[in-house]
Order: sequence, then structure tokens, then C-alpha cells
Amino acid sequence: MERLRKIDFASEKTFVWVCMLPVLAFLALVAVAPTTVALIDSVRHISLTSFAARGEFIGLDNFRDLLSTDEKFYTAFWHTALFVVVVVPIEFFGGLAIALWINREFRGRRLILTLIMIPTVIAPVVVGLIWLLFFLPSFGLLTQSLNYLGFFRNTGVFSSPETALVALMISDIWEWTPFVMLILLAGLTAMPKAPIEAARLDGASRADILWHIQIPLLKPLIIIALLLRSIDASKIFDSVYVLTGGGPGDSTEMITTFAHRTSFMSWNLGYGAAVCLVLAFVSLVLAALFYKVAMGIQR
Amino acid sequence: MVHLKRLVYSLPVALVLFATVFPYLWILLASFKRHEDLFSRPVRWLFQPTVESYVAIFDKGFDLFLLNSVIVGVSSTVLCLTIGTFAAYGFSRYKIPAGNHLFFYILATRLGPPIAYALPMYLIFDRIGIANSYLGVALAHATFNLVLVVWMMKSFFDDIPREVEEAAFLDGCGPFRVFFKIALPMTYSGLAAVTIFVLIFSWNELLFALILTGGENRTLTAMIPSLVGHPKGLWPQVAAACMIQSVPVLVFIFFVQRYLVSGLTFGAVKG
Repeated sequence: MERLRKIDFASEKTFVWVCMLPVLAFLALVAVAPTTVALIDSVRHISLTSFAARGEFIGLDNFRDLLSTDEKFYTAFWHTALFVVVVVPIEFFGGLAIALWINREFRGRRLILTLIMIPTVIAPVVVGLIWLLFFLPSFGLLTQSLNYLGFFRNTGVFSSPETALVALMISDIWEWTPFVMLILLAGLTAMPKAPIEAARLDGASRADILWHIQIPLLKPLIIIALLLRSIDASKIFDSVYVLTGGGPGDSTEMITTFAHRTSFMSWNLGYGAAVCLVLAFVSLVLAALFYKVAMGIQR
Repeated sequence: MVHLKRLVYSLPVALVLFATVFPYLWILLASFKRHEDLFSRPVRWLFQPTVESYVAIFDKGFDLFLLNSVIVGVSSTVLCLTIGTFAAYGFSRYKIPAGNHLFFYILATRLGPPIAYALPMYLIFDRIGIANSYLGVALAHATFNLVLVVWMMKSFFDDIPREVEEAAFLDGCGPFRVFFKIALPMTYSGLAAVTIFVLIFSWNELLFALILTGGENRTLTAMIPSLVGHPKGLWPQVAAACMIQSVPVLVFIFFVQRYLVSGLTFGAVKG
């Protein structure tokens, strides 16, 4: 596509300012100013008791404590990493399989697509509550079924560390597999039909067509889907908040719930600010990666 | 044979459909059940439906929280649509100095973990006195929705042939007239879709709502989990609250199906 011709900046100066000034002012208020405040607070010791006094200056101690000695931070980091590594591949292969299956004409296709999207579009809080009800000790529908098969007769799904994490993963897979499916289906639908037809006439098998034509053509969308899912899965908060609250113990504590607990339950605000800045920095790197890929696709 | 083949094709689809729809259906049913019907062992599939849970949560003041969600959703939507549409047009049509950096920065506000912005926002909003107000949470919601507006609207503006606006310029229209009378109206259907997405994302959001609202300003999503803490009698009410929260979303989503992929990937993928 021909690059869009752009008007020379100098000739329409006022209008350009009208376009860009609001967004600049807005970002200054909601992004730049808070980051600055966080920077200032992160080098102080601020707790609820010393909140009014704005805290004592302690240099980079918060960062040093966080990165070198805080086991809870690394535990939360490990849980988040494990969570992402498990759910994203499952969501990807599940989504790909469903997309390939649905990528044909049949009656009721539109309706089925609408229904399949329900988990992704409803609020994550509601998703969490749905699964909480399912896994409710003794009375939840899934717990009852599992009891029937001989599991969890004396214990709840959310009272053992391993099963609590697995339950979180199940709820996430239910919520986001349709999202991956939707992205990949968009790619499959937009794909040129000619190469596939030609290959079929030459006697290529379905597997050949999938592996040598469809997957390579889908590659940019696969990368987008994997990146977006990895970034979003690493930010999981709502369903953890609803389903386990990080427990039992800290067995399902994620980076986000750790940050939330530090800041808004322990009210260790200076330390919380340091956690937030570290997270923001890591996500900036990931965002840069995503930006490169997304810009590559749009061109 | 034809029947067998059709069955083989449709069985996996049916399974997937069941797995996705059934959990939602279950909570829909739960919202019309009495407590004894929901928590019976074995599962009671037939029951006398009742709307008492819906009545009960409105008695608890959920109409207020519902209204709060609407107020926050609408005001954050108006705010970020206004700001974002202008910016998108600027990005699409003009050479903005350091424009790429700004474009990227807007994306970064959405891809970062909300908690990393929530605490700093809380710190500054608390200082200027807008923590626990509609304004604070509306600003927060507008922030993470800005990328959706800017990226999607930019792609809609990019799709408009440049010639139309050039002709208007030659006829002596200024840039304001060209924007409001020509460019903007050509994106109306896209703009409507973006509006709906922004509304839904604000309506569904939990973390900022938890941190930046309190007491009478609480939104629906922040209030529903608080029902769970009660003794087990409240589950039908939780289910009812979930329905009130999610049914409007499904209705609205139905109208923007065509833009669903774009909306969920903030314009990175075109549907």
C-alpha cells in the first residue's frame, strides 16, 4: 500500500495543536504525574502511620530489598511465570484447533461464534464467580462430580496449593481460548483461497496445506495472539482476587496480587511504589516488542 | 454416510459450544433458584424459578452501584473518545514531531499491569482530592482505553481516501470544517463500535474500581465479590448480580460483532 501522504506540519499548526494538546495534557495528568509521584515515593519509607509526613528518605533501599531479599516477590514471580507457561500454549492450541474447525461454511455459524465469545466478553469478575460456584466445597457442581469420582471428598479444591492453581488455570483457559480462536479465525477468513485450492488440486493432504500454507500465512497473527495472551496472562488479577485471594498461604500469589497486597492491605506505600515501577519497566519492554510486531502487520 | 460425516464434523463443535456456554447457563439458572435448589445434593435440575434474588440485591442498594457503573462508564467514554479521536486524526493526517514515541507511549499505558498505574494514580489522586470520586476512576478507565480509541480510530481515518478532504481544502474549508464535516462523519459506524467497546471495558473493570472508589461510589464489579463473603445463603444473589452485570455486555457485543477482533486487540488485528 502506498504510504499516506501527510500534510506539512507547519501549514496547519493550530489545528494540529488542537488535535494533540488534549492527549498530551491528559497523559501528563494520568501517566507522567503519577509516575513522578511514584518515583518520589519509591525512595521513601511510607506506611499508613507516616503517610501524612510523606515518609523518611531511604534512598534505593526499597528497590534493593525487593530485588535482593524479598522471597515473596520471587514466589509471586514464579507463580506468574508458571501460570503463563501453562495457560498460553493450551489456549493457543485450543484456539487454533477450534478456528480451523469453524473455518468453513455451515448453518448457524454466526450464532455459534457469538455464543463461543461469551467467556471472553463478560467481566473477569463474573468469570471468577462462575468458577468459584462450580468449585464450591461439597455443593459446587464440579466438586460434586469430582466427589462422585472419588476426589476432594474431604478437602476443597481451593484448600490445596496445587489444585487451587489448576482451578485458576482452568478458569483462565475457559475465558481466553475463544479470544485466541477469534484472532486466528480472522486470519484464516482473510487468507487468499487460491494457494490452498492449487495445493489441493496438486494432491496435497490437509496436513500439508495446514503446515506449509496456512500456518506460514498466519504467522503474524500467531505472534500477536501469543504476545497479547502472554502479556495479559502475566497481569492476571481479577480471577485470583475472586477465586483464591492468593491463597492458600501464598500458593497462588501472582505479581499483581502481591503488588496489591503490599500497597493496599499492608499500606506499605513506598515499597508498593517500588514494586509498581519495576513492573512498569518490565511491561514497557514487552510493550516495545508488541509494538514492533503490530506495526509490522499493519504495514 | 453423509449423516455420519456431518456428525463427525459437528460433534467437536457441539462439545466446545457446551463447554463455553454451560458454565454461563449454570449461573443464569442459579440466579433464578432458591438457596435450597442451588445447594442440593444431588444436583436438582428441575426447580420452581423465582426472582427473589433479583429483588433482594436491589433492596441491598445495588441499583446505586449499577448507576455508578453507568456514570463512570459514560463519563470515561466521553472523555477518552473526545481526546482519542482528535489524537487519532492528528496521527493519521499530520506529521507529529516524535509522533511514534507518543503513539507507543499510549500503547504502553494499556499493556502494563494496571496495578503499576493504580497505586501511583491513587497517590496523586489522593493528594489532589479526587480519590474515591467518580472523576478519579473515570480518568483511570479513560487511560487504559485511550489506546483502543487512538489505534482503532486512526485505522478508520487511514481508510478514508485522502482526495475527499483535499477537494474540501481546495474549496476553501479550514481543517476544523474538514474534520467535523467530512472526515469524522465518514467514520461514524466505526466510532459507534469503538464507543461500545470502551463502555464495556470500563463497565467490566475491577482493579481501578476497587482502588479508586469507595462507599457510595463503588461500581458494580467492585461490589459483587463482597456478596460472596457472607454466609453461604447469598449465592443466588451473587448469580443475579452477575446476570445484571453481564447481560447488557452480551447485548451490546452483539451489535459490534463485526469489529470484535479489532476491539479486543485494540486495532492491532483487523477483523
